Amino acid sequence: MFAHLLSVMIFLPIVAGLILLFAPLSRTTARIVGFGVSLAVLVLSIDVYAGFTATGKLEFVEYIPWIPSLGIAYHLGIDGISLFILMASAVLLPMVYVLFGTREKGYYANLLLVEGAMIGAVCAADLVLFYVFWEVMLLPVFFMLGLYGGPRKIPATLKITLYTIAGSLLMLAALAYLAVQYHALTGEWSFSIEKMGLLDLSGHAAALALFGFMIAFAIKIPLFPFHTWLPDAYTEAPTATTFVLSAIMAKIGVYGVIRVVMPAFEMEFARYALFFAYAGVIGMMYCGLTAIAQKDYKRLLAFSSASHMGIIAVGVFSMNVQALTGTIYQIVAHATSTGVLFLFAGILEERTRTRSINDLGGIASQAPIFALFFAIAMLASVGLPGTSGFIGEFLIILGALKFNVAIGVLTGLSLIIGVCYMLWLFQRVFFEKSKTASERFKDLSPVESLAFVPVILLILVMGIYPHPFLRKIEPSTAQYFAAATPVVAQATTVTPALAADLTTEKN
Amino acid sequence: MTNDFMLLFPVILVSLGAIGLMLAATSRCVQIEQAAWACGGLFGFAFLVQLAATLTGDQALYSSLFNDILVVSPFSKAASLVILGCGLFTVCSSLSYFKKNNFSSTEYYSLLLFAASGMLLLTMTRELISTFIALEIMSLAIYILVGYDRDNVLSTEAVMKYLILGAFAGAFLTMGSAFVYGAAGSTKFALIGNFVATTGFLSNPAILAGSFFILVAFLFKAAAFPFHAWVLDVYDGASMPITGFMATALKTAIFAVFANFLLADSGLQQGWVTFLFYIAILSMFMGNFIAIGQNSLKRMLAASGIVHSGYLLIGLVALGSQPVPGSVVAFYLAAYAAGTLGIFSALSYLSGKGEQWKNFDDFKGLAKTKPYTAFAISIFLLSMAGIPPTAGFMGKLYIILAAIQTGQITLAVLGIVSSIVAMWYYLRLIVTMYFHAPERSFAEECPSRIGTVSTLVLVLCVFAISLYPIAL
Repeated sequence: MFAHLLSVMIFLPIVAGLILLFAPLSRTTARIVGFGVSLAVLVLSIDVYAGFTATGKLEFVEYIPWIPSLGIAYHLGIDGISLFILMASAVLLPMVYVLFGTREKGYYANLLLVEGAMIGAVCAADLVLFYVFWEVMLLPVFFMLGLYGGPRKIPATLKITLYTIAGSLLMLAALAYLAVQYHALTGEWSFSIEKMGLLDLSGHAAALALFGFMIAFAIKIPLFPFHTWLPDAYTEAPTATTFVLSAIMAKIGVYGVIRVVMPAFEMEFARYALFFAYAGVIGMMYCGLTAIAQKDYKRLLAFSSASHMGIIAVGVFSMNVQALTGTIYQIVAHATSTGVLFLFAGILEERTRTRSINDLGGIASQAPIFALFFAIAMLASVGLPGTSGFIGEFLIILGALKFNVAIGVLTGLSLIIGVCYMLWLFQRVFFEKSKTASERFKDLSPVESLAFVPVILLILVMGIYPHPFLRKIEPSTAQYFAAATPVVAQATTVTPALAADLTTEKN
Repeated sequence: MTNDFMLLFPVILVSLGAIGLMLAATSRCVQIEQAAWACGGLFGFAFLVQLAATLTGDQALYSSLFNDILVVSPFSKAASLVILGCGLFTVCSSLSYFKKNNFSSTEYYSLLLFAASGMLLLTMTRELISTFIALEIMSLAIYILVGYDRDNVLSTEAVMKYLILGAFAGAFLTMGSAFVYGAAGSTKFALIGNFVATTGFLSNPAILAGSFFILVAFLFKAAAFPFHAWVLDVYDGASMPITGFMATALKTAIFAVFANFLLADSGLQQGWVTFLFYIAILSMFMGNFIAIGQNSLKRMLAASGIVHSGYLLIGLVALGSQPVPGSVVAFYLAAYAAGTLGIFSALSYLSGKGEQWKNFDDFKGLAKTKPYTAFAISIFLLSMAGIPPTAGFMGKLYIILAAIQTGQITLAVLGIVSSIVAMWYYLRLIVTMYFHAPERSFAEECPSRIGTVSTLVLVLCVFAISLYPIAL
């Protein structure tokens, strides 16, 4: 236990990644260094997890003024919400280095960079710092996709980059607006995310700013109708990039909504929550139905990932403790199930040289361990009781029903779609008659199996005994709804009649 | 009086150096390289002097010189630091550029110093006549530098266009000054401001017409809409280092005097704010649409210069909200200068003899053969596009904060939309450099060490400027 733990976790991978980029090293050295550094981050993250006391406040705080005249600071800290995204990225990244050994040096270096930036984004407690890491996170993805992607990589790269940057720039305007509002109300400049929670903005400009943030986060999640970059990017990207995008980066979009949007725009958020929740439900159904029709298993998983992000979004927009806790839980569950499915898909693609479902069949008899692990991750992804997916989805549906019956029912229904395409995929790829491409499918090697074991165990443990995890999450989520009226309220324009309309539910 | 000269020391240093170098050029025993080193040394020394003066703080007592004609403020100090830095890096990129091209002579470096001394005066001047004189000192030197490659048709065309249009702009400035003097009875910014404050902006047609003409002259030199048409051809015709110098130092000087003019006459600023609002928007979008269509990198950078003028105009519209006047504009200028100079410094040694490689397609696969240069260029492009953690991002953040604070939310939003559009052409070069297979070997250019070192230093500058806190 030493000071600046979070800073070390952010900058160790970034510095190591930069050195790897510039130093003339062989690809094996790069892989070993990458694995070592990501393991070191994992060890540090376990230290953080053990030391985390679940007070509901920020812990492990670091504060160094950066631009004092504007109140911009190098301000880090984590609470029960960021802790789990931090843990997910620290636990999952080392696996990539074990599983994929034949990549170039830049690939491993960029993975380290993206890891540091993602940890930075979830630890940042200052809006400007958050924005910096948020944007830096995209650059390695841009290079990994453009340099090591599939045959149609350049259009996919441009699509994701322009899409995300457009969103982020809108967020930049919105966060400038927040800071100016805070300055106008208190006479003090600050970009602290915590202090933005004291604001309760409403009105025309506030709605615009809310949408600025929401579009940025909706593109990253991606929320319907901003998902169109996803199938191309997820399919063309090298496996590790798809994995990072789906398992962690998408979650940082959700995290942004919880951390920045909900506290600062309480009233406006409540006004539009139903609208956003419907967008989540429609996205779930739409992506789920599209997934059924896919012939390419990576594309199918891409749509499935988007569909499951829809349920996480519904959890956020339902605005009560159950749904929000479920969301955080589901974030980890989704990372360990759907995210990990992309790793399996990557192995499948490497060994069979095809992405078409029709070319595969009968793998279960060739590779029983692979099939077993795939099945567990898949069942967790569809939310079978006993796996981590069940707890999260159950809590979210519970919260959604409390929020709005229609949303709850539709969410529950669209889960059935998920079961349909997943089981059908499993049937076609793992059972049925063996095809030429999958005839000599090699099972997981002992090292590879060992790399997957912790995640598979995590899926089962989180499904059977969720209490220790929920205990760390709940104080932070409860904080959001227990807070008294905002300290710095604007001269509010909400009439009692309007207030009754708003479906805000505290607790 | 001695204090006056102390504050003027950088200007005196640079202009005496210019004269000295011009005289020395008549002698046969001065080599071109020696002149270059002398010129670079002068810029470096003046930069350090100015830096020392900036860091020791502002002595308000002596800050106005020569009966208020010249004023040294934190803003003018920051702007002259940027100009001197630009001069230094231009000398470095010239050195590497003239390894391949052979039309340089000793006078080239003397003219650089002359141009810089005019620019330094422009940052300090608070009076219309001296504005005109400083502007002409700068412009005359720049005209010659643009047309320095006498055998090149493009270069000759560029100087012709620039000279004639620039002379028009100068005429507009004198005409405007005459009108304003006729109405206000003074050419000092402060007294004009007092006059406008007491009699009102719209009541006097001479003030209205005069200030309009002055604005036209400034907007022409700053390459803002609708006076942007010359930029593409002139930047394209000038040699790489000079294009870089014009895009950064000249723009800094013009925006410095522009900001000083508007700051001293807040009545005028209020009067013209709507006009500037539309000019800013149109500059940004016009520049973007021109830049998207370009195949030549140099012309794309010229067009993106129009866009950045648009951003700087946002800063001028939002001048009122800055406790330290012009700090946002100065910061943006420094950030923009670091990025732009960096690209031109890299292009100076990449473009080869006679600038034969300056199109997007010529840089296909650069990252494979010259990974460090490609990385540096990417950093500069990301800075110009405003992606953190580069200087361009902080500049953009400050501009947007200032705009929102003055209530110009529309302007802030349109600025954001424009930078989304701009991503397209900045990314295009990065995609070309990284994701396409090389079509030529890039073996012809052996980059001179000075070129690579100055590019590297500019990369560091891009990050250093972004970390440097300013007082908003």
